[in-house]
Amino acid sequence: MAIARNIVNIAIAAAEKEGAKRITKVNVVAGELRGIIPAQLIFCFGLMAENTIASGAYLDLEITPVMGKCRKCDEPFMVKDYRYVCPKCQGEDIQTLSGTELRVKDIEVE
Amino acid sequence: MKINVMTDILEANDRIAVDNSKVFDKHRNLVLNLMSSPGAGKTTLLEKTGEALKGKLRLGVIAGDIETTRDAERLRKYKLPVVQLTTGSACHLDANMITYALPHIDLKKIDILVIENVGNLVCPAEFKLGEDYKIMMLSVTEGDEKPLKYPLMFRESSLLLINKIDLLKYTNFNLKEAKANARRVNPDLDIIDISCTTGEGIPDWTSWLNQRYQKKFGTKARA
Repeated sequence: MAIARNIVNIAIAAAEKEGAKRITKVNVVAGELRGIIPAQLIFCFGLMAENTIASGAYLDLEITPVMGKCRKCDEPFMVKDYRYVCPKCQGEDIQTLSGTELRVKDIEVE
Repeated sequence: MKINVMTDILEANDRIAVDNSKVFDKHRNLVLNLMSSPGAGKTTLLEKTGEALKGKLRLGVIAGDIETTRDAERLRKYKLPVVQLTTGSACHLDANMITYALPHIDLKKIDILVIENVGNLVCPAEFKLGEDYKIMMLSVTEGDEKPLKYPLMFRESSLLLINKIDLLKYTNFNLKEAKANARRVNPDLDIIDISCTTGEGIPDWTSWLNQRYQKKFGTKARA
């Protein structure tokens, strides 16, 4: 719910800065590790947007996979099922490259 | 028309968390964000910890609860400095709530400040509060698959306390499996088995606290 509220606030602030009258679409990028449940977030977003210029806006969620990089051999790879093990050298010291992001990418306005 | 935004959704919270951590550093507080499911034993752990640290390090608590001040009342019996935050309907604490709590607790009299988050394995992991470390508590009456169901929380934590270890023989909790699952999500995770009832593992937990305190502030006693 707090995340949905923040999304609405960020979108409205960006739209007002550009003098837009209505927000039609909000594009959000969420990393898989964030554990966002799309249906739930979209529902909360709809509630939070009511009676604002974002009312009725479409929320598009792009879920990005977890990518890691081995600190031992520099191999980048996709982390599946939270298995933080390098497929090349079996190293376990993995830097998370992506999968934790949570941001409003852009919005579409009228 | 498309407008580029690229704003982090939790940026406002993270900024406030940084401000909080500056206040904690100034007062020489080691700050821990303690997270678990409801009923895992967070408040009992704090009761035991206050006793175990007596005369060594001074414990203080910010307790988050959806309703009631029962946790704070329990801890006050142990003469610990406690401030209770009731979150209303919110399922987690955020940095702003901590900022509001700060004037109500004397940080100068605290070495280790534990922020007892609302019992929940999802949302608390998202919101930084200004802590040095996140700590997770899992009890053996829950499931050993929890790390895979709630990976972010285990990934973000530095220490996992497996509580109610004295009840292990009455449950189908697979301790080995639980640890393997937790390490799969976070290979750097420290894990300590404890029982707040029998006291097992409590010395390991307090020595972990000691180590982290010394790592942050050096071995010198505070002025």
